[in-house]
Amino acid sequence: MLREVTEDEFRQSVNEGLVLADFFSSTCGPCKMLSFVLADVEKVCGEKVNIMKVDFDKNKKLVEEYEVSGYPTLILMRDGTELKRMSGLQQKPAIIRMIEEA
Amino acid sequence: MAERISYSFCESLRNKQAEAERAMLEEFAAGVYTLEQPYIRLNPYLINPLSAAVAFRTETETAVTVTIYGKEERGNIVHTFPKAKEHILPILGLYGDHANRVELRLYGGRARTITIQTAPLDTEVPALLSMHTEAEYLGKELIFVTPSLNALATAFDYAGDVRWHLTVPVIFEMKRLQNGNFLIGTERVMQMPYYMSGLYEMTMMGKIVREYSIPGGYHHDEWEMENGDLLVLTEDPGYETVEDVIVLIDRKSGEIKKTWDLKDCLVPGEGPSGGYTPKDWFHNNALWYDSHTNSITLSGRHVDAIINIDYDTGKLNWILGDPETWPEDKQKYFFAIKGEGDFDWPYEQHGCLVTPNGGIMCFDNGHYRSKIRERFLLNKDSFSRGVLYRIDREEMTIEQLWQYGKERGEEFFSSYIGNVEWYGEGHYLVHSGGIQYYGEHASEKPAALLQGDPNVRAESITVEVFRGKVIMEMKIEGNFYRGKKMHLYHEQKNMPLGEAENLGKMGVTPEFDTLIPMEPCGELLPYRYEAHLTEEEDRFVFKAIFEGGQLVMLMLEKEGEEHGYFISTSKNKFTALCCGTFIEKDPRNITLNVNKAGLSGTYDVRVIVDDKKYETGIRITC
Repeated sequence: MLREVTEDEFRQSVNEGLVLADFFSSTCGPCKMLSFVLADVEKVCGEKVNIMKVDFDKNKKLVEEYEVSGYPTLILMRDGTELKRMSGLQQKPAIIRMIEEA
Repeated sequence: MAERISYSFCESLRNKQAEAERAMLEEFAAGVYTLEQPYIRLNPYLINPLSAAVAFRTETETAVTVTIYGKEERGNIVHTFPKAKEHILPILGLYGDHANRVELRLYGGRARTITIQTAPLDTEVPALLSMHTEAEYLGKELIFVTPSLNALATAFDYAGDVRWHLTVPVIFEMKRLQNGNFLIGTERVMQMPYYMSGLYEMTMMGKIVREYSIPGGYHHDEWEMENGDLLVLTEDPGYETVEDVIVLIDRKSGEIKKTWDLKDCLVPGEGPSGGYTPKDWFHNNALWYDSHTNSITLSGRHVDAIINIDYDTGKLNWILGDPETWPEDKQKYFFAIKGEGDFDWPYEQHGCLVTPNGGIMCFDNGHYRSKIRERFLLNKDSFSRGVLYRIDREEMTIEQLWQYGKERGEEFFSSYIGNVEWYGEGHYLVHSGGIQYYGEHASEKPAALLQGDPNVRAESITVEVFRGKVIMEMKIEGNFYRGKKMHLYHEQKNMPLGEAENLGKMGVTPEFDTLIPMEPCGELLPYRYEAHLTEEEDRFVFKAIFEGGQLVMLMLEKEGEEHGYFISTSKNKFTALCCGTFIEKDPRNITLNVNKAGLSGTYDVRVIVDDKKYETGIRITC
């Protein structure tokens, strides 16, 4: 399920299965566009992956812990282990390909 | 709704020139012009203010010798045109803001000297800082430079006087062709920062003879094959990766005859340079076809290496560069250093060429000067140079035969552009076109991203070396992608008349897969965004000013059909700006180019800004 999460909610879910974390900022145009892309991705892969949106500006601990240097940044993880990350706005096919290859 | 945002239709430069030429020829045809009273038209092709056309008739066929008088005698430029009764003569090499005296002398007969007054040169002419050369050396040849920042293509004579200049931002390599014309990138940007619509084949007058549109665009370099076909650096029109494709273009039709994709012979991400990015993983900045080996040599800035591929198969033949960090399966392609002589590998090099005996030259920028991050040098501690290597393809060994520039250190350092030219054994040109200082030392950031900062100083130094001696050194203000020496006139048609050919085709502009579900609000895009749409024959250009962080998408809509083009309002992070000519000083200024290729019918143009889809009042027919 695509949703914005707090740090606690993120930590509760990040170790469970396939997770796609979207580090975004509300002050970033490409991040806003990525929200629409992820909504489309969820329609295709929603049962396979848990998509969590993490506000870059409100979750500095997570930003530091996951070494996120800019936004938007997508990190795909399985059971808490990072598999792949993408920086910048991505198109739907590239994200779906990344999820399907995981 | 009767209102619309600002709109204009821009005729192509080709068509503007054709119209100007028609008018000129009509005027000439309507008058009685003689040697004594010739027809004179300054800047007949609109973009070369230091050129003129002079026309007159003679009763008998006769050759005409034109002398454009220099400020002193050795600045004279002389050319003889073949015999004719109707003489339409290109006059090249005028000085700006000057009453130029031009002698027209009939073969074995009378002469007439006319005066052509030119206007002052515009602000996009680079300022000369110094020119040192031998009195007799440069002769009638000029040193041409092509843009990398704001100043435009210009040529200087032995005295440092500007004798040629174009007033449109045509960019990258200026390649002289067998027919005397030259190729250069168009001024039409398809994708930022410098992926252009294609190439112009142009005369020294600035007249476009052919325009080649290329689906993936043009960048950096091109090459004329013996049969006239063109090898051009391009990319896949989808722009998922860039600067990694080469195409062979049919000279007469503009159609693509062959394509090489470097991802077929290299693995992106292997052997990365300091400037590497996943998208611009190779950064191909030069190509050279070698008929002796039927191969293409390419310069990959973002792999710190010059590579050679087979023309027929595209297979990798060899890699010239530091083998560190490359995987084991690629090591067999590298050369081993032979002997104990002075030797440095090239790093983030530009402008590779193959000498007639198989040597490899390049401009070794020396950016980072290592493949290991921990050993990266700051720009102020590195050096750039022209370098010549001898490679043994059988033994897979390499020797450094010559270099110029290392000894000059930071003062000659150019992190991101430059080239070399081979004029004979021991006779080379080295163009360090991207010297950038920030305060006292070499800048660690590109000058194009620091425009307006008073601490930035950009310079370009072009040096010609003959048997170890510097015989010409020119220093100008600003950065220039390439430098080279050429004559203004040649022995073929210097002023071909007639309409330019429009060849090849534009690519389909990549759309954004995901559309924003939103109904039009019925309001006009607010004036505060200062939006303007310029339509051209084969595309349109949308410009506006948005605030950082806004969600913006341009929509083309007709019944049952929607096309969305996302517009980023984030500050762009360009890491390899070989040409920053088109970078806006204010990052809020956005430009979106949409080609008409792939679209059909009439579309309403709408713009989504955050939570509203606005009207522009403009309809585009494709």
